[in-house]
Amino acid sequence: MKTHKFIKFALTTAAISFSGAAAQAQQAGGSLVFLVQPEPPTMAGYVSTSGPIGLLGPKIYDGLFDYDNDGKMVPMLAESVDVSDDGKTVTFNLRKGVTWHDGEAFTSEDVQFTIMDVLKKVHPRGPNSFKEVMSIDTPDEHTAVFNLENPAPYMLRALSSYESPIVPKHHLEGQDIKSAKLANSPVGTGPFIFNEWKKGQYIRLDKNENYWKEGRPYLDRIVGRFVPDASTRAAAMEKGEVLYAAYNAVSNVEAVRLNKEKDNISVTTDGYSMINPMALIEFNTKEGPFTDAAVRRAISTAIDRQYMIDTIFFGYGKPATSALSSNFAATGLHASMPNYPATGDIATANKILDDAGYKKDGDGVRMTAMFDLIPYGEDWKRGGQYIQQVLGEIGIKVELRYEDVPTWLKRIYHNYDFEMNLNYFYQLSDPVLGVHRHYGSNMIRKGTHFVNSSRYSNPDLDTLLSAGMTEPNAEKRAAVYLEIQNILANDMPVVNLFELEFLTVYNTKFKGAYGSAMGAYASFGDAYID
Amino acid sequence: MTEFWNRFSCNRQAVLGLIILGCVIFLASIANLIYPNDPFLYSRFPLSGPGENGFLLGSDSIGRDVAAGIAHGAKTSLLIGLIATIAAVFIGVIFGALAGYYGGLVDDILMRVTEVFQTIPSFIFAILLVAIMKPSIESVVIAITVVSWPAVARLVRGEFLALKNREFVQACHTLGMGDLRIMLAEILPNCLSPIIVIGSLMVATAILVESGLAFLGLGDPNVMSWGFIISDGRSMLRVAWWICTFPGIAILITVLAINLVGEGLNDALNPRLRERN
Repeated sequence: MKTHKFIKFALTTAAISFSGAAAQAQQAGGSLVFLVQPEPPTMAGYVSTSGPIGLLGPKIYDGLFDYDNDGKMVPMLAESVDVSDDGKTVTFNLRKGVTWHDGEAFTSEDVQFTIMDVLKKVHPRGPNSFKEVMSIDTPDEHTAVFNLENPAPYMLRALSSYESPIVPKHHLEGQDIKSAKLANSPVGTGPFIFNEWKKGQYIRLDKNENYWKEGRPYLDRIVGRFVPDASTRAAAMEKGEVLYAAYNAVSNVEAVRLNKEKDNISVTTDGYSMINPMALIEFNTKEGPFTDAAVRRAISTAIDRQYMIDTIFFGYGKPATSALSSNFAATGLHASMPNYPATGDIATANKILDDAGYKKDGDGVRMTAMFDLIPYGEDWKRGGQYIQQVLGEIGIKVELRYEDVPTWLKRIYHNYDFEMNLNYFYQLSDPVLGVHRHYGSNMIRKGTHFVNSSRYSNPDLDTLLSAGMTEPNAEKRAAVYLEIQNILANDMPVVNLFELEFLTVYNTKFKGAYGSAMGAYASFGDAYID
Repeated sequence: MTEFWNRFSCNRQAVLGLIILGCVIFLASIANLIYPNDPFLYSRFPLSGPGENGFLLGSDSIGRDVAAGIAHGAKTSLLIGLIATIAAVFIGVIFGALAGYYGGLVDDILMRVTEVFQTIPSFIFAILLVAIMKPSIESVVIAITVVSWPAVARLVRGEFLALKNREFVQACHTLGMGDLRIMLAEILPNCLSPIIVIGSLMVATAILVESGLAFLGLGDPNVMSWGFIISDGRSMLRVAWWICTFPGIAILITVLAINLVGEGLNDALNPRLRERN
């Protein structure tokens, strides 16, 4: 038995080495200590998409599939998937012999329960991702058949353990999902088992000896440490106390310095392609000074996007050229649009406002506005201060407001009590998942975070969004999105600023965590310490 | 007055403090002349060192002039210190005077209220207040006032307790003077010197608290202040030391100067205490 295991292990290792994914031999054992910033509110990745949950959750819970850096699907809990010719029946063949961390067997009923009763109901993005799923049949324990109302090709991009973690039915059934105990003592099928949560300090996960993937995980332990102060985080990285820091837990300025000064510390922008973050300004299109699209176009024209990237984010980022991220160019959906000049054009912006009839008064002020800033740290504050100056040059006098996270969320998404708001959104792996929620009339959901807070509503656009959702033909779909981008480049309820490039800073002795497109939100089953 | 100045100038450190403070006030008053542009104005030269690209004390992460920030920040810091102190002294004197003069139940009630404020650590209380109100120059002043007045109230109460049974006060009673007049015209002038001393020291504390709040990101984002510059530059200390260092020095010497002046005032106003030196 032992030999058999060993051979299998050797074969897997050989296969991986052969594919070039890893040049050296992997070593089992060791602990990974990495930075989790900030401390997560719970561990319920099935209720919240909050970033820090994503850093730890996918180590505990598996998804049906993972995605490699080329975007290809990698089997996880599902070994394969078949889509019927009409696109309306999607059959998942589930892995056999998988057990939950408490010893219960994982079955197709868990999948059915997760999608229908959890993700479709309480997950922020689940109702969109699985919108077309009407029912799930479970003909046997290892088959789950999704019955769709319309084809939903984007659904297959939302099956990762971060986006759609599969949760144990026997821990949640019959309970209020949002307040179930599982949120603080997670039980999954993933490579690591939840061990301890020391509030304010760390969360510790231990190796799952019964993980379905032979010989994995390599690591004995993962510790996610919470360090509130930015300089202390950078110092911990520098001293080798922590080996991995994603999502700018170590700020760009320190990352650039450490990369230059330290031989054993490196940075990468890989691992964020499925996240696809976009910095932007949301406008209140219903009341206040920004109800006129001309003003919003003028603002988009005035801002020097490249300057913001170069000075505030130290060169990491790409100027936005449309409502869609250029990462969608791979699927042919992205097209560059007018009104998004990379370096800003004050003269043209002033002309737009002159033509629209906004006169400057004696002090050169056309209008005043309140500008809310996303309270996620000083980079955003600096961005706001820069934009404040630029808008001053085109006669829009803005005052900045910087509040704590709950107050800010309430102001923007519950009360709509704002005029313009600096923010960033994840556009994710398909516009249906990440972009539609910004613009659709059906996405004006009072009280739901990170949806259409502009309250922009355009029936023509709604029709196009629906078409983009269900159109199976790639060329026709591209044409639909071209039209969508045209409308949005003109109306601009949201002005996209630039595509953020998050940085992962890592110690070079920590290896094998870079093969998944989910990056830090992946399972780390293949990660090891050299 | 001359006598007062003579006593004040005996303390050389106090004179030095006064000179420094005068310089800071002068800097604040000419800030608009030497740096007529908005101190928030960005430039194309971020993170320039001192002397580079025409920045006397360097530029910060989005190319703002640190020297201009310090000059304009001086205005903010001094103004906040002054207004918050005046407000705190005003409230503290009212509470302390009433409590000390009337004693009994009034004293009990007012002092219990004062103690409630005193039991909460003042800086944490200030953070809480600013976080509840939105961070703005007004909320910062209010927060500093709220955490500073109890000390004044305690001091004034003590003075009033000591003075209210003195002969001159009893003489006023016999003359039929009203309570208010006795308090304002007779007792208060006699306990003015400790109030002036504590007030001068409170200006220094107020400047520190304001800088602390701004450092934690709770300052008014629309107003340039020293704490704001430090807070902005803190994460870049390793690559751009000048952003934090110069405003830090500005806070240090200003607070030091005010403390020295306060000490000098104490010596000058309470000559009998001077023997402790």
